[in-house]
Amino acid sequence: MQTHQYDVVIVGAGGAGMRAALESSTRARTAVISKLYPTRSHTGAAQGGMCAALANVEDDNWEWHTFDTVKGGDYLVDQDAAEVMAKEAIDAVLDLEKMGLPFNRTPDGLIDQRRFGGHTRNHGEAAVRRSCYAADRTGHMILQTLYQQCVKQDVEFFNEFYVLDVLLTDDLSTGDVPDGQPVRVSGVVAYDLASGEIHVFRAKSVVFATGGAGKIYKTTSNAHTLTGDGMALALRRGIPLEDMEFFQFHPTGLAGLGILLSEAARGEGAILRNSEGERFMERYAPTIKDLAPRDIVARSMANEVREGRGAGPNKDYVLLDLTHLEPAHIDAKLPDITEFARTYLGIEPYTEPVPVYPTAHYAMGGIPTTIDAEVLRNNTDVIGGLFAAGEVACVSVHGSNRLGTNSLLDINVFGKRAGISAAAYAATADWVDLPQEPAAAVVGEIERMRDAAAGERVSDLRRALQESMDANAQVFRTAESLTAALTDIRTLQKRYRSVGVQDKGKQFNTDLLEALELGFLLDLAEVVVVGALAREESRGGHFREDFPDRDDAAFMKHTMAYRRPSAAEPGETEIRLDHKPVTVTRYQPMERKY
Amino acid sequence: MTTVLETTGHATPEPAAEVGAIPSFDVTLRIRRFLPDTPEAEAYWEEFTVTAHGTDRVLDAMHKVKWEVDGSLTFRRSCAHGICGSDAMRINGRNRLACKTLLKDLDIKKPITIEPIKGLPVIKDLVVDMEPFFASYREIMPFLITNGNEPTRERRQSAEQRERYDDTTKCILCAACTSSCPVFWTDGQYFGPAAIVNAHRFIFDSRDEGAAQRLEILNDREGVWRCRTVFNCTEACPRGIEVTKAIQEVKRAMITRAF
Amino acid sequence: MTATTEARSPIPAPRSPRNRRTTRTNYELYGWVFMRASGVLLLVLIFGHLFMNLIDGDGISAIDFGFVAGKWASPLWQVWDLLMLWLAMIHGTNGVRTIINDYAERTGTRVVLKSALYLAFTVTVVLGTLVIFTFDPCPPGSPADLLPSFCTA
Repeated sequence: MQTHQYDVVIVGAGGAGMRAALESSTRARTAVISKLYPTRSHTGAAQGGMCAALANVEDDNWEWHTFDTVKGGDYLVDQDAAEVMAKEAIDAVLDLEKMGLPFNRTPDGLIDQRRFGGHTRNHGEAAVRRSCYAADRTGHMILQTLYQQCVKQDVEFFNEFYVLDVLLTDDLSTGDVPDGQPVRVSGVVAYDLASGEIHVFRAKSVVFATGGAGKIYKTTSNAHTLTGDGMALALRRGIPLEDMEFFQFHPTGLAGLGILLSEAARGEGAILRNSEGERFMERYAPTIKDLAPRDIVARSMANEVREGRGAGPNKDYVLLDLTHLEPAHIDAKLPDITEFARTYLGIEPYTEPVPVYPTAHYAMGGIPTTIDAEVLRNNTDVIGGLFAAGEVACVSVHGSNRLGTNSLLDINVFGKRAGISAAAYAATADWVDLPQEPAAAVVGEIERMRDAAAGERVSDLRRALQESMDANAQVFRTAESLTAALTDIRTLQKRYRSVGVQDKGKQFNTDLLEALELGFLLDLAEVVVVGALAREESRGGHFREDFPDRDDAAFMKHTMAYRRPSAAEPGETEIRLDHKPVTVTRYQPMERKY
Repeated sequence: MTTVLETTGHATPEPAAEVGAIPSFDVTLRIRRFLPDTPEAEAYWEEFTVTAHGTDRVLDAMHKVKWEVDGSLTFRRSCAHGICGSDAMRINGRNRLACKTLLKDLDIKKPITIEPIKGLPVIKDLVVDMEPFFASYREIMPFLITNGNEPTRERRQSAEQRERYDDTTKCILCAACTSSCPVFWTDGQYFGPAAIVNAHRFIFDSRDEGAAQRLEILNDREGVWRCRTVFNCTEACPRGIEVTKAIQEVKRAMITRAF
Repeated sequence: MTATTEARSPIPAPRSPRNRRTTRTNYELYGWVFMRASGVLLLVLIFGHLFMNLIDGDGISAIDFGFVAGKWASPLWQVWDLLMLWLAMIHGTNGVRTIINDYAERTGTRVVLKSALYLAFTVTVVLGTLVIFTFDPCPPGSPADLLPSFCTA
């Protein structure tokens, strides 16, 4: 076991982690721990753009952007946070440009902007050109640019290190720590994949930027490595998770594969059609049609398929039609996604429509934070030195449905804030002691898995989980389907205890890590489903067929899910739900029409 | 002795499992193994036969082996659609991304040979030590260098100026090019195509003012002049970057500067 | 139950870490330019040489001691052949040097091969240059019919 000491430790080297590192490494001694090489992070898969009211091509201002974000999130957005994000978006984009990001340009040499789902002029009048982009590789360019700046600043990386525990001064998991009592973070425990060694990082500040958990679903645009590690670690240590029942399904995943085709396609003029060739979004969102927010489009697509208007031999997808666009225009603005269609489905988008179907894409929920990225342990108390930013966090700027491009914005705005806050905290805080034997829990779990005789196979359990989640907790949900999912998850959690790995080696044991990741997925799926069962309304990304309407009287509040010892079964845990009020500043909830 | 497994990944009627419908078929993977933890660690070949479907990629077949036959089979992967650059490997003698190579595009009558990329030290099975690769990348100063005060708004750049270096911005640092280069194979001292591609991305960016420094670095004995225009790199690049052309453009910039 | 294993063979040893010595000179650049420039020049020189020797006048049947001696009595052909010798040798040696760099994996092999190469280069160039400049077209006591016409000893 090795021990390191840093003022700030950042967990995760995607957009949010590296953006935080750029701020904190100039102010405090910083280490970035990442389970992947930084440039492998899934920020790189984002395509369409990053919205900011630059008004480079048409009239726009950040207040409209705030409104769109709030309305897009079906009013579950904390409006103070949305305002911060929309206001700081402009500088976030300009910062990236100054770092060298190769944005597409207007004829005047300014950053070009294009339309995107849910982003409108003057509170919903018409679609506005707000998304700053670099072809359909905006996320790739952001990730590369941030990594380039990290190289420039000589940021210290620990690559292919898996953080497996977060160390706090008090044990929150029992629920016995009274509100108001100060609790601080003292470090993290990480596993070095290359050597199999355990490293303990002592730190004054820890920033979680570990990304999402799309792998709880089978059809997903998310990477194999997006297993919600940060969220699950927080949950296990007694930190609540907020609004986890809201999961975004991106409308246009390549049918059957889930590979993302950017909303930018529709921003550039592509049209969704059903088997009859009808532009069906005209019926669901008469004003902005195909550029409605993702939850609405995904639900409309699923509804078309359900009502028998799906295309293809099994009538189980709809079509994304780009054939009326100029090939030269497609090549200039959407080169990658057209290549995906060619490579993976053998479809030529110039001449044929592309089969698409919703794919699990983004967790709106996560670790609750303040607008300064401080992690909350209940509705009011922050944990000293613990910060979170990006998809792992829930500020909440996305509410119940994130608008396209707002995730790239989120990682830049709140990644920056997290880096600054973490360094500021480390500058004044004193060191706290690590617990006795800080790595004992992690070492114990690893030993148990490695030593287990041939037990349950990781892949069997994971597949069962993903298939159940796809079948029961996807775009359409009912009490019945969610109960079925919960039963499956509980069974799988029990089976997980006897999981064994085949690879007994120390070096580069990815078999072992997949087993640990499965544990995270199971814990998070439980939170998603428990939250979804309790929310007996339909809002944003969460649609209950048995409760098809939004119910502001009963549910205009955030869900806070705590993992606590079970009262009924000693030795077991259960998810307890609590609520947090939504911050409303300017915009009173209205009916959401597009 | 081989094992045939039923596909379970497509067991349920999936949305559009019929897309590009091709019936399932058996493929044999012939994989170069190296397990460092075993007492007499030596590399060897191992064959696995699995059942695959029309839209399956080499990565899917490898996952099937790892998940259903031999959990110790080790390789890097993440996004699984050619964006993250984790899974560059040598498939049938060519450097490719396993997630971007469809099985149906290969000759599946013969075993598909899978080896780690060449020229970098093998750690385990298909995992190589990427550190020498990233060391070269860092040496060419892969970041925007500017002088003077920062403007308040964005730096201006025309669409033509932006287009000038577009090709080399696509690089995902997968190392497929560098590890396909015979010159790199020799002693690993050559900067390699990927580092030069990333230098090119800044040298030809109208906003950048560090071109002279980068050209100076690549003027090294192990720099661009070791390129023999073999074109392996261009052929290997999963992003379709014209790598050899980029290297030649850097050479030209050096000559223009020197004379 | 898994699979067939075969052919155990040693894995290539991990390389020593990169220890590039930076060479901030234009040596490789000039080398690269030289190869192209000398290549073009050699095309002219060699084809000029071939034309004069093999095609012009009586063609190949005219070549004898007298013909060679006659050419080297002229300063033009002395310079021509000297240039051809030097350029071809430097061009060829540099080419072989890069091949050694590209294909010899061990430092020791490189040193040996390059030493042999440079030795061969030096011997050939020194001898060739000496012959061009010290060539006596009219060695005393030779039969007159073998000598060029201007030898009137």
